[in-house]
Amino acid sequence: MPIYTLQINNRTVEVEADPDTPLLWVLRDELELKGTKFGCGKAQCGACTVHLNGAAVRSCVLPVSALEYAQITTIEGLSADGSHPVQQAWMEVDVPQCGYCQAGQIMSAAALIERNSNPSDKDIAAAMSGNICRCGTYPRIKQAVLLAAKYARK
Amino acid sequence: MISKVDRRDFIKITGIAGAGLLLGFPLKSKASGLDAGEGVFSPNAFLQISSDGSIVIWAKNPEIGQGVKTSLPMIIAEELEADWQKVEIRQAGLDERMGSQFAGGSTAIKNNWETLRMAGATARVMLVAAAATRWDVAYAECKASNAIVTHEPTGRKLTYGELADAASQQAIPPIVDLKQPRDFKLLGQSIPGVDNKAIATGQPIFGLDAKPKGMLTAVIARSPVYGGKVKKILDSEALKVSGVVQIVEITPTENPTMLVSGVAVIAKNTWAAIKGREALQIEWEPGAGAEESSTRIKNQFLQNVAQKGSIPLRDDGNVDEAFAEAAKTVEATYEVPFLYHATMEPMNYIADVKADKVECWGPTQVPGRVAGIAEMLTGIPRANVKVNQSRTGGGFGRRLMADYAAEAIFLSKAIQQPVQVVWTREDDLLNDFFRPNGIYKLKASIDNTGHISGWHINASTTSRGMFSGSRDSPHTTEVFPDGFPAGFVPNFRMEYSPVQSVVPRGAWRAPGHNATAFVDQTFLDELATAAGKDPVAMRLEILGKEEKQMHYRDHGGPFYNTKRLRQVIELVAEKSGWYQRAPQGIYRGFAAHFMFGAYVAEVLELTMSASGVPQVVRVHVAVDCGIVVNRAGALAQIEGGIVDGLGAALYGGVTIENGAAAQRNFDTYRLIRYKEAPEVITYLVDSTENPEGLGEMSLPPVSAALCNAIFAATGRRIYKLPVKDNELFQNI
Repeated sequence: MPIYTLQINNRTVEVEADPDTPLLWVLRDELELKGTKFGCGKAQCGACTVHLNGAAVRSCVLPVSALEYAQITTIEGLSADGSHPVQQAWMEVDVPQCGYCQAGQIMSAAALIERNSNPSDKDIAAAMSGNICRCGTYPRIKQAVLLAAKYARK
Repeated sequence: MISKVDRRDFIKITGIAGAGLLLGFPLKSKASGLDAGEGVFSPNAFLQISSDGSIVIWAKNPEIGQGVKTSLPMIIAEELEADWQKVEIRQAGLDERMGSQFAGGSTAIKNNWETLRMAGATARVMLVAAAATRWDVAYAECKASNAIVTHEPTGRKLTYGELADAASQQAIPPIVDLKQPRDFKLLGQSIPGVDNKAIATGQPIFGLDAKPKGMLTAVIARSPVYGGKVKKILDSEALKVSGVVQIVEITPTENPTMLVSGVAVIAKNTWAAIKGREALQIEWEPGAGAEESSTRIKNQFLQNVAQKGSIPLRDDGNVDEAFAEAAKTVEATYEVPFLYHATMEPMNYIADVKADKVECWGPTQVPGRVAGIAEMLTGIPRANVKVNQSRTGGGFGRRLMADYAAEAIFLSKAIQQPVQVVWTREDDLLNDFFRPNGIYKLKASIDNTGHISGWHINASTTSRGMFSGSRDSPHTTEVFPDGFPAGFVPNFRMEYSPVQSVVPRGAWRAPGHNATAFVDQTFLDELATAAGKDPVAMRLEILGKEEKQMHYRDHGGPFYNTKRLRQVIELVAEKSGWYQRAPQGIYRGFAAHFMFGAYVAEVLELTMSASGVPQVVRVHVAVDCGIVVNRAGALAQIEGGIVDGLGAALYGGVTIENGAAAQRNFDTYRLIRYKEAPEVITYLVDSTENPEGLGEMSLPPVSAALCNAIFAATGRRIYKLPVKDNELFQNI
């Protein structure tokens, strides 16, 4: 099996994997980064969202062979202590119910706020509608994104 | 409200190694009315205070998103007079001393309320007694607060840590004072979820994240049609996939809620197992299940409701006479689909079966059932089965079944190594235990005074009780003969006929009610229109002004109170401005429902786009659930239930073709998304009644409130869910 060099959370790592292995399974099974979640395997639900060069992408459909030299950030790399404004807002607004989709939600929100710290309702809807939450936490997600944007502007 | 509890006969205190106080006591069973495979009631242990002052409280039940890892320990902490900020909450594993541990029927709060209060209060009383003894003063002069006991006349203080050892030597108090609700400091506050930080930083707290040493991963090929069996396996290609270790055939159990026929590909990692399964060639014996279809089932429903129901459930007065003498009659036939559970964390489970013991990890609502299955499949006594409770990525009733845990146990036993069974999303949908589908035929009469004089409902559904082989009548999981407006309409008939199918069915959030509230509350709206009455006013007129205890023989009974139902209806009508004209372009719908002990009324507001797509902008909801334990948690459950119920009503539905679900993943089974979710405004009734659960109650009325609002907007009634399957709304 080939060996790939990846840039994950500002670290360089080498993994041995089949070329078509999705990044999701490399993160979870090889690198023990379990924060990125498996939801659908088809880029439908957003549970596996990570940042690829700053953009929110679905890691369940990204083959590892396409990712050499890309900058990848996972929920663990956003901040280990929960100090990122989006993580802060998520805890403060008490968004999670079961919590399973929330790493993906947070990564989508963080990518949005990184490029637009004053998002409109439409901007938020566009950024967050790719992430499914069966618990129905969307009303609190909205509050948390607005709060995170406020923190980011400070 | 109970204020004093005699505990002489049933308290046992055990000292723990070193200095400390461990509290446990056996309790008698509280009937939950649910069969969750539990039923062990013996000594328990909920809290531990150490000499260094640290306090640990164990959360006993599975956390599936309903918030019990926070709310149940809050109850203990309140009575203990602990400082919540300094308490450490730990998830308990399956532990028979804790009594019944499961998540189902919105029962955790109501069934544990007294037990957990006593657990906290007993410890507090013993700490205070230890302080009084040390100071040689009267017990009544000492007071506990914030984990400190104070001798009020002198101001002397001792911390719980300083008292822990002495408290463990104290005699068991014969009487325990429970706090009065007006003295609650913690209960009723908004307390954030105790795992919020772990979730927000991506800690490995879910079942799928666990990885005991030496664990292998299994992905299983199951029959492409319900009830099919493996005939022949060609595994040479699968074994060539790098990382694949072994192929194991799964022998099905007779009960289809346990093990179904399948072939497991066991590999060193998940991707290898998935690829290995793709390479596997299996010849299946499809069996009779391959013929099953939604069309066959629907035809059976229609045949059933066209004749007398096989199970008569209620026949008050004389319905036929009421219809004959009516000024007006209204008829409608409603249809609801199979619904998929769609927990965001797909089914998965880990088992490590050794020669004489079993250890398990993973998401479940029924850890006790998992232990029972482990004993059954391995022959290892339950006492040697350890079940760890992981945080669970959604339950909604799906994880009341432990079929996927049975697979892990079966496989680990076969290969004598720890195995994690992982289901893909497609596995999860195709092998779900769906919310039963059904048809409900209704007819009602309005007499010449404008009152509802007769009501006849004839229902037929694919009873889930019948699927799981329950000994109870198949109607009990489907329809509720005492539900409103039964008992108010003088001539009332209800009948039911089950339909059996190979399609697996199970409990889905607010089981039964998620269909009956839609039917009853939209039909009432239609009757209000026919009678020329306001829908809210008509419900209040039916309920009457006099307070009544209505017989209610289902879960949440034995009574419901008309005053409490009236109160939530009036509250939401007033707060939402129901009696004022709706703003231009806003259309409103109303619904109310009683279930599992709580009262809920909702006013939904929507707008219609130029292309005729309804957008729900706001839902006002009034809830009476008795005492509110965690306000933030209560609001979360209410909001979530409404968003979830709205998604199911608009988009949810599984159709069966050639013995399998036609839907496979979220591209073909649609869930509600951020942009489609409304604002939710909740009004909680201030109450000192004992608390009820809240995980399910806000969901049932929302489908009716939605469809009633659609009628207000379009003049068209929705008789079939999901809304998107109605011709008028195909571009939703």
